[in-house]
Amino acid sequence: MEAVLSTEKHALAGGHAHSESFIRHYIFSTDHKMIAKQFMFTAIFFLFIGGAFALFIRWQLAYPGQPIPLIGKLLPSTWVNGQGAVTAEWYTQLLTMHGTIMIFAVIIPLLVGTFGNFAIPLMIGADDMAFPFLNMVSFWLFPLAGIIMMSGFFMEGGMAAAGWTSYPPLSAIASTGQTLWIVALFLIGFSSILGGVNYITTILNMRAPGMKMFDMPMTVWAVFITAIIITIGTPVLASALSMLFMDNFLSTSFFMPAHLTVATRDMSRTAGGGQPLLWQHLFWFYSHPAVYIMILPGMGVVSDVLATFSRKPLYGYKAMVFAIIAIAFLGIIVWGHHMFQSGMNPLLGTTFMVSTMVIAVPSAIKTFNWLGTMWRGKMEFVTPMLNAVAFVSMFVIGGLSGIFMASTPVDVFIHDTYFIVGHIHYVLFGGSLFAIFAGLHYWFPKMSGRMYNERLGKLHFWITFISFNCTFFPMHILGIGGMMRRIYDPTVYDFLKPFQPMNEFITISAIVLGFAQFILVYNLLHSWFYGKKAKRNPWRANTLEWQAPSPPPHGNFDTELRVYRGPYEYSSPDSVQDYLPQTVSPEELQEQNERHRQRLAQQEHAQPVA
Amino acid sequence: MLDWLPENVSVFGEGVDHLFTLIYYISVAIFILVNVIYVAFIIRYRRKRKGDRAYYYHGNNLLEFSWTALPFVLFLFLAFYSDGIWESIKYSDKTPNPDLVVEVMGQTYMWHFRYPGSDGIFGRREARFMGTTNPFGIDPDDPNGKDDYTTINNLTIPVNKTVLVHLSSMDVIHSFFLPNMRVKQDAVPGQWVDVWFNSVKTGKYEIACAELCGSGHYLMRAVLEVKSQSAFDGWLDEQYGGLLAALNAPSAVPATAPAAQDQSAPAASPTH
Repeated sequence: MEAVLSTEKHALAGGHAHSESFIRHYIFSTDHKMIAKQFMFTAIFFLFIGGAFALFIRWQLAYPGQPIPLIGKLLPSTWVNGQGAVTAEWYTQLLTMHGTIMIFAVIIPLLVGTFGNFAIPLMIGADDMAFPFLNMVSFWLFPLAGIIMMSGFFMEGGMAAAGWTSYPPLSAIASTGQTLWIVALFLIGFSSILGGVNYITTILNMRAPGMKMFDMPMTVWAVFITAIIITIGTPVLASALSMLFMDNFLSTSFFMPAHLTVATRDMSRTAGGGQPLLWQHLFWFYSHPAVYIMILPGMGVVSDVLATFSRKPLYGYKAMVFAIIAIAFLGIIVWGHHMFQSGMNPLLGTTFMVSTMVIAVPSAIKTFNWLGTMWRGKMEFVTPMLNAVAFVSMFVIGGLSGIFMASTPVDVFIHDTYFIVGHIHYVLFGGSLFAIFAGLHYWFPKMSGRMYNERLGKLHFWITFISFNCTFFPMHILGIGGMMRRIYDPTVYDFLKPFQPMNEFITISAIVLGFAQFILVYNLLHSWFYGKKAKRNPWRANTLEWQAPSPPPHGNFDTELRVYRGPYEYSSPDSVQDYLPQTVSPEELQEQNERHRQRLAQQEHAQPVA
Repeated sequence: MLDWLPENVSVFGEGVDHLFTLIYYISVAIFILVNVIYVAFIIRYRRKRKGDRAYYYHGNNLLEFSWTALPFVLFLFLAFYSDGIWESIKYSDKTPNPDLVVEVMGQTYMWHFRYPGSDGIFGRREARFMGTTNPFGIDPDDPNGKDDYTTINNLTIPVNKTVLVHLSSMDVIHSFFLPNMRVKQDAVPGQWVDVWFNSVKTGKYEIACAELCGSGHYLMRAVLEVKSQSAFDGWLDEQYGGLLAALNAPSAVPATAPAAQDQSAPAASPTH
């Protein structure tokens, strides 16, 4: 019967698609699913650019001053020297752009742009976002910003080179690439705000009849809370960026003290009287919550995936929701822990240390609840589940390494070392990106209408998981050894020379890690066209998106939806099946159970004959 | 893993390293605990047959409460334990009386160090005098400043003496990083920050910049020489003699462009 319904709807969907022009459907689309796909493909494109930059960085650290193999000679002379080795100038641009791209053009667009857009309307039973046009604008600002940021390449002095944190005065006396970076980030922030407002409105107003807030899946909760953080934090970033732009471009002095001695720029027009630390406060007031923008949706996705493939209700659903709210709230008052060594009053260090230690608590709650979800479950280890399981374990490492930095005296030593680099990658790659892999595979059948290749999915997971740990775990050791971040050549320092073999090991692992991502792209692209056709509900999941056809047409649902229960009724004794969708009414449930019993009875009768 | 830490030669570094070790063992314990349970679950609770049913269970409030309260207590304990050490390192009212005061100025990509000279008094400095030839902005009219002397990329200190550093920068933010002293402090232009340390062992150590300050960031390396008191006094006299000679010469030669000077060699540059 399901099959009949879905073919009918397929015909309908086809009709819809033909009634729109190509441009309306594929480019300036207002359909949340198309916008989600646009976010996805653009972000994956940037993932490869950011990844390539990371590999150039790694090459230089492992083999300082040696030519980049194969392509070194082909790169422009502003990037490499005559032999094809990375120059110090390009190196600082690389590390700046790697951080900026990965955070603002990969992780946030994938988690918030892609999953937020795709999952919210489908999971709450809405036909689209509250403001479809706004949604389209929100997407198109993103590639525009990407182009502006990358166009620094054509400017004298190259791309921005003051680090993704862009601390002034360095960023305020920098080249045109830095100005473009500021403009681009401003636009991306604007895109985030538009998206955030849209998500909040949609979730508050457009839930299917019967769906209470506490009937929403964790993904929706997480994106909802994330959207609130975005709308609170991003305007602060925007104002800080405006000030930095003026310092950079109009010689104002928001962040500039008087009498700076700078060789590259005439400072006589700069009056002075500004405070470099002001930028850091404003920047981290946004960028610390941004860390939670980049992890909360991942936590939501992982919660859904873990429950679905453990065939068990999410352990402590309400505790999980409150933990997210607690993380969001505390996340806004811990920004100073990035500034323990910045010259800020050490008394503030004490207060920020206490709030930072406390924020570890809700993260611990989430971890224990994930464990509880798996306890006495019946786990199925398909690709999304593997990635979700890896997420939890990697997030534990990332969380624990955070305690070292939260403790101010220990931070004195490890601040600005590779320990931090290891930590952030365990959170953003081991955490966010594994959650993204989980979500991409989990929703792939719904998004494309086809199944991905399970063997390739698993292959990608295992190579990624192993090479990820080989790449980033040793960075903690480098940090303990004192290796500073963002240095072009560690062999300049005697105390870092013993670490060179480890740097080579990391680089080789990173190359494997980078190239393994081609498996993912091949799997996604190939399966998109040639994969096995997906059923409506291939994972036997409860949430509403699985009630829509695969892929859902414009307008999403072909049935009237009413929500009767929470999203995690797996293995409920009320149902003979091990899942119980949110939309099944008590009467339907009874019918289903009856039919199922009859079928079982028939099978039993049939067996002796066979 | 902690064996990789650079040798600690500072007095408070021991407390820092103890705390580091404590957090390390707590983390390893939590990591093992969580992951043993995790792996056990992964092995035990996988779906083996079709029709297997999971345990229908939504959670337990007592458990939720306990795994909220226990980490809370643990992390608050860590915060307060850490704070004791933090205060003793960074709070200005807990800084011991210094035996030697040195001013440190970061400049892309080098470190300037300034000693008060034989009178023990620094000459007055003002930001408006700051420039590549006068990194500290010493007032040329102040007689106390005449015998102040500066070095580039070399900080020499006596062993077992408390050294107080006034730290600033003349262009962008740098970070004064002494791995063996467990010292790191950003040098912020327009702002003076105090850092202190006390080395218990003589020897040559490295000073690095830990905050991105431009493409030459990695070259911003200086040498920390910890000498016995007598050797330090000898070094001081030597530097001071050279400075006096330069002052008494008919026309003091302006300091050469600092960038041209050797990275590690101690260099006295007269200020004017």
